[in-house]
Amino acid sequence: MDQTFLAIVFGPCDKCSKEKPLRPVSVKSEQRSYCSLCVEMMATEGLHENETLASLKSEAESLKGKLEEERAKLHDVELHQVAERVEALGQFVMKTRRTLKGHGNKVLCMDWCKDKRRIVSSSQDGKVIVWDSFTTNKEHAVTMPCTWVMACAYAPSGCAIACGGLDNKCSVYPLTFEKNENMAAKKKSVAMHTNYLSACSFTNSDMQILTASGDGTCALWDVESGQLLQSFHGHGADVLCLDLAPSETGNTFVSGGCDKKAMVWDMRSGQCVQSFETHDSDINSVRYYPSGDAFASGSDDATCRLYDLRADREVAIYSKESIIFGASSVDFSLSGRLLFAGYNDYTINVWDVLKGSRVSILFGHENRVSTLRVSPDGTAFCSGSWDHTLRIWA
Amino acid sequence: MILGWSTKPGQLQPCSSPSVPVFPAGFCCAGARSRWQRMSTTNNIAQARKLVEQLRIEAGIERIKVSKASSELMNYCEQHARNDPLLVGVPASENPFKDKKPCIIL
Repeated sequence: MDQTFLAIVFGPCDKCSKEKPLRPVSVKSEQRSYCSLCVEMMATEGLHENETLASLKSEAESLKGKLEEERAKLHDVELHQVAERVEALGQFVMKTRRTLKGHGNKVLCMDWCKDKRRIVSSSQDGKVIVWDSFTTNKEHAVTMPCTWVMACAYAPSGCAIACGGLDNKCSVYPLTFEKNENMAAKKKSVAMHTNYLSACSFTNSDMQILTASGDGTCALWDVESGQLLQSFHGHGADVLCLDLAPSETGNTFVSGGCDKKAMVWDMRSGQCVQSFETHDSDINSVRYYPSGDAFASGSDDATCRLYDLRADREVAIYSKESIIFGASSVDFSLSGRLLFAGYNDYTINVWDVLKGSRVSILFGHENRVSTLRVSPDGTAFCSGSWDHTLRIWA
Repeated sequence: MILGWSTKPGQLQPCSSPSVPVFPAGFCCAGARSRWQRMSTTNNIAQARKLVEQLRIEAGIERIKVSKASSELMNYCEQHARNDPLLVGVPASENPFKDKKPCIIL
């Protein structure tokens, strides 16, 4: 969205060299600054004879139609039909094994450490807590200068956490085990957006962070210098979630937003390579299938959906007439056969990904489930809720 | 909805195309249109071009049939099912979250 980055800068125009108020323009993914007169002249220069607004719009419509046609041609069968020959799953008994109490208000986000044991969680009251999930002890706690800390992430090394929310920033806190640890003093501000931070994730190393924001963009940052490495424009409204592709499949990530679209991006070029628009409402959560060939999404329209990246279409919908509340958070089990989804009606539904049926419904939380992640070794999953607690299920 | 309000904080409204009269490119009528209208036409043209280019990229990618994609998803599941603790269930001794001793009711 060019509008969000429109700040009035005065200086020499890159084209006519006159000192004028400048507008930032992207030309072949380079940033240039032109005065408004040159922008207008270039816009009319570049147009071919018949390229008017109307002709561009009709070309866009015909391309959309062609896209639908191409996708429909390959829609020869449904996933659940192919999955008929797979054995049905038995009964699942999953219980709450640990309850993590200590947040003073709604839990908004959580993430596992790669050591499969530690968890970081963030809350509406501004507190970010690191827990040992085996013992339920709190190992670290920091109070952010803002409320509604909507995003938090554990660094791959386990030595730092990142978090942010209404402060529009993503900050990184190194974790130490000093006696009188003052985490807030070592805070490093990395990302700056023009609206709230909705999601963040480290890439394969502690050195880079990917963020999503209410300003409609995603961005990749260098942690050490705080420099913006790449920005991703294309969503028409707030971006609410993102997930990085499993490392074997390459440098892409998927994001979901209030514009009902899920978009897949190339991290190096900043280009959107695929987009999917079949949900009827905001997409709250996206998660890659373990193989990286597909991803699931959870939405306010009370459905979760599976999109296959190579077939370039939605291949399954996980919904029931009795489920009318939005899905806030989704994650796959290790093999990808199970999809865990937390809902605003306080429940967690477990879906058979291949057959499309629900295999279990888990009760326990006393308010909306806002976040859900499976542990790195798949032995358990953790859910966070507006009832101020986190629960570990296995 | 994540904050319990009917719209997300700071929700941007999607751009709707204003009803601007479309003049053929290069047609110069300095007085008939205001500067603002010319600039918003320029914006719209730039945006429409971006959209067309994006759609061209998306339309051009290679796709496979759903049947092939589905069977590959299934194969992945089957191959990894054995190693999925939540799917097959692991005994209490191997799952750090499950209690090792059975509860004794006194």
